[in-house]
Amino acid sequence: MLTPANAELRQTSIVRAIQLAVVVAVFAIWVGLTSSHAVNALFLPAPLAVVGALSRLIGTSGFWGAVGVTTFTTAIAYAIASTAGVVCGFFIGRSPRLTTAYRPVLSGLFAIPLTLFFPLFVVMFGLGPSSKIAFGALYGFFPIVLNTIAGFSGIDRLFLRSAQSQGATRVQMLRYIFVPGAWPIVLTGLRIGFFITFASVLGGETLSSASGVGHAIAHEGDLLESPAMFAWIAIVLSVTIVLNLVLSVVEKRAVRST
Amino acid sequence: MPPAIVVDRVSQLFPGANGAPDARALDEVSLEIKRGEFVCLLGPSGCGKSTLLNIIGGLLAPSSGSVKIGETVVRGPLPSDVAFVFQESTLLPWYTVLENFRVSLEFQGRTDGWREHSMAALTEVGMQGFAGYYPSQLSIGMKQRINMARGIALDTAILLMDEPFAALDEQTRLVLGEDLSVLLARTGKTIVFVTHSLSEAVLLADRIVVMTARPGKIKSIIAVGEPHPRSPDFMLQPHFSEIRNQCYELLRDEIRSTVDAMREARDAHTG
Amino acid sequence: MQSVARRPLSATAIRWWTIAGLIALWEVAARLFGDPSFVAPPSRVLLGLPGLFADPKVAAAIGMAGLEMVIAFMLAVIVGAIVGVAIGITMLGRRSFFPFVLLMWGLPQVVVLPLVILIFGLGPVSRVAFGFTHGVLPVIVTTVTGMRSVSPLLLSSARSMGASQAQILRHIIFPTMVATVFTGLRLAMSLTLLGVVLAELFVSSNGIGNYTQIFAETFHPDKLYGLILVLAVTAVILNELVGLVEKRFSRWKEG
Repeated sequence: MLTPANAELRQTSIVRAIQLAVVVAVFAIWVGLTSSHAVNALFLPAPLAVVGALSRLIGTSGFWGAVGVTTFTTAIAYAIASTAGVVCGFFIGRSPRLTTAYRPVLSGLFAIPLTLFFPLFVVMFGLGPSSKIAFGALYGFFPIVLNTIAGFSGIDRLFLRSAQSQGATRVQMLRYIFVPGAWPIVLTGLRIGFFITFASVLGGETLSSASGVGHAIAHEGDLLESPAMFAWIAIVLSVTIVLNLVLSVVEKRAVRST
Repeated sequence: MPPAIVVDRVSQLFPGANGAPDARALDEVSLEIKRGEFVCLLGPSGCGKSTLLNIIGGLLAPSSGSVKIGETVVRGPLPSDVAFVFQESTLLPWYTVLENFRVSLEFQGRTDGWREHSMAALTEVGMQGFAGYYPSQLSIGMKQRINMARGIALDTAILLMDEPFAALDEQTRLVLGEDLSVLLARTGKTIVFVTHSLSEAVLLADRIVVMTARPGKIKSIIAVGEPHPRSPDFMLQPHFSEIRNQCYELLRDEIRSTVDAMREARDAHTG
Repeated sequence: MQSVARRPLSATAIRWWTIAGLIALWEVAARLFGDPSFVAPPSRVLLGLPGLFADPKVAAAIGMAGLEMVIAFMLAVIVGAIVGVAIGITMLGRRSFFPFVLLMWGLPQVVVLPLVILIFGLGPVSRVAFGFTHGVLPVIVTTVTGMRSVSPLLLSSARSMGASQAQILRHIIFPTMVATVFTGLRLAMSLTLLGVVLAELFVSSNGIGNYTQIFAETFHPDKLYGLILVLAVTAVILNELVGLVEKRFSRWKEG
């Protein structure tokens, strides 16, 4: 049956109202549970306590130290993962034979929890950032290489044959068909890879580390300092949301320009 | 005997989205269709022929005007009187062909003897060997054949068909068209058939309702006057070409104005 | 574009030769350059496997981890499907709540791991809980997006044949929903496994985490590698099982 267009508009305001209500309700429940002491303050500290911990945290040398380590680790890990991923993905994706040979293996590997291999990295590289760099690079490599393979192998052979018949050189085909055609998918892979690297670095820091944001969270947990732990979690979640928005916009813009 | 279908000054207005003006799809269309007639609705894209079909079948309520099927005013689907055949196969992909028939008949409220009934309908279109197949295992032509068979199995007096052969190749179209003609002659069903193919309209219809471009009105009704069952040989007769040319003359201006309207809309958008 | 002068190597051959080559490289490099305290060649790892299983406590830890994975997965699928249907069945529900789901989908859940352990303790419950939270989101996402894909044409067709709302629900909406839940199953399994493994490794006083730490600290890399290998194979088997189930229930999809 037909839905008049104005009904959809009316619905949008209801949707916004519901969403606002959800946010308010969650906050209200948080305040209610903590002020009535219905929940152990260890599991759920009061909002004010978290805000207090946040204000005490931000700007301290401990804060910048942890943030610095995590940022540095993530940046290096991502640089390795993206370079290796795009390069390997390019050479594999260009060749149908190599794609058939390696793609299933790579997808299969990506499907298992690679965190299992983290203890190996700790054994080999120690508790410092190196083990997290290696682990983050490994985990981030997979979505990037898989998407790059998909991007390059998915180019319609018809375009290639058509270009060939027009006398295009290899370089020209690369520049005018392969790269623009694969670009959007590769870019998506790079974005996903970033978040996987970031999450893996945090995970590694949480599991075994002496420094970094992940370690800070685990450490506060050990000390039963819930407000401080929640403060760190809030920081990480906010940063992730902002990064996600920024990278999505970057991805959309970059795709539009080709 | 009262006419099978009476369309009385039906108009259809679609509200505009986001402040755009309302679109008038149909404008005071009136039509009487006799029992056992094969009527084609022919017109350019967007002229509202599918909309009209949906209104006749009770899937859509008209903005004004009414439709009567026999003595009853149409207020919703009439599963025991009207069966639809759509352009794409509406066989449910997760059931086999036979299961699809069972479910469709169950919708209609008929559960006794469904198996014999379904197999009989399938045999009519020659698809009895595929009863146990899933739709994904069949070609488009086979699926549309089975779609038609299901329309037959529903055993209604009226069959409403919305460009059912549009996705098929020429040869399959001719064969299925012939089957349809035979069916009509044998059962006396009333068929309303939407198409944008001139040849198909002339080949199959007793009367061709030529519609204008949007807003859709009836421009002219042309009688074909050739008894059913018809064979593709009819296409070789001079009579066929005369009627076809007549239709073309009527449509030519309509198609042109549709193209002009599209051009205007595009220029308004980019300007 | 490939020259076919000699008979070319098939894709399968390339794959297996590469894998064999890498294993051989591992073997040689480990024996020649590897510090035996940290590095073990594959031969020693494989030979050490029976010994690994012989220890009942290690075997129990592996078994427990496997059980946690299965339970977390089933919970994730059931709850995820129900929530997904509840959200996706109305346009209002979907537009209101799906953005929240997508928001949670993008967050690194590992940062709440210490909190989960704090709340649920050091035992299997926290592992199942963490696996559940990882696996439930993709199920919800695929269920909601799948419900959008109920074909309006099929709905029109059913209505024209006189189908009641209950019949439409049973014959059209429900099968569409089931189909879409199945497409998300593999991803749900991968993520559930990830959650369970993270939680297991975080707790070093019992479970897998305990033994990874012991094997590392007592310089038994072969046992460490062996344990990891066994768990990785378990993960592959579970993934394949889910894939098989998915295939069996999607027979009608193949062309």
